[in-house]
Amino acid sequence: MNAGPTSSLADPPVTGNRRRILARTRLDFWLDALLLVAYTLAYSLGFTGIAAHEWLGIGLGVVLLVHITLHWDWVIRTTRKLLRPGGRERFIWLVNLLLLVSMTLCIASGILISEVALPQLGITLPASFFWRQMHDTTATLTLILVPIHAALRWRWIVGVARRFAAWRPGRSR
Amino acid sequence: MKFLRQLTAVVLAVAVIVGLGMLWAHLSGGTGTGALRRAPSQEVLQRIKQIRAGVIRVHPDGGFSLADTGNLIRTCVIEAALAAVVITVSAVWRRHRRSRRASARA
Repeated sequence: MNAGPTSSLADPPVTGNRRRILARTRLDFWLDALLLVAYTLAYSLGFTGIAAHEWLGIGLGVVLLVHITLHWDWVIRTTRKLLRPGGRERFIWLVNLLLLVSMTLCIASGILISEVALPQLGITLPASFFWRQMHDTTATLTLILVPIHAALRWRWIVGVARRFAAWRPGRSR
Repeated sequence: MKFLRQLTAVVLAVAVIVGLGMLWAHLSGGTGTGALRRAPSQEVLQRIKQIRAGVIRVHPDGGFSLADTGNLIRTCVIEAALAAVVITVSAVWRRHRRSRRASARA
């Protein structure tokens, strides 16, 4: 994790590998920011209205698949290391697992109780109290877990944001 | 290629979670169609009351309601408060660990 701007005029030339890593960091940062904004909007049903809420939720599900895919290596690596001592990574893994389960069930139940998006696509599902309650419960759970999930990586977020703030066009970072 | 392989693994993991959810719904008899099988919970009734009273506004047209930013602000405040707690605990824990290491070295 890099907590501050590192480049100067004396920096070594940016190699292809380093450029790939920087591009990946940029992609991770902006995708995560997009997910957080989309989630915050989707949770605020009173602000978005039901149709925007549903379409945002469906879009969130698709982007979440990409987000988890981009971090799949971390999932595998950390899962393998679970039996080793060291609490922090294990705690992050547990939070992420809970978030994956609750977010998946929240989006799936949201689709199953959809009142606007699915009927617009010509699909009508019967009303189910189970899925409505599941949606309410998992939505509350995700509201707790999403900020925890983001805050556990706050040093990375601050580090990358600082780098972006110090970035000038024409200077390779 | 690697991305596609990993995406397949993620989709499978998500499918397992959804499948377990469906099984849960089936076992609890919650997949009934049409009429509700149980009375709505207090939380649901409260939300319906709030919608009727205009505290929570639900717009069927799907447009963003800039007049109802209170709902969005409330979500942001909850997220910020929780994040602040986690960051504070994390910073305190890190400082404590660092000082413990320093004293062990000394």
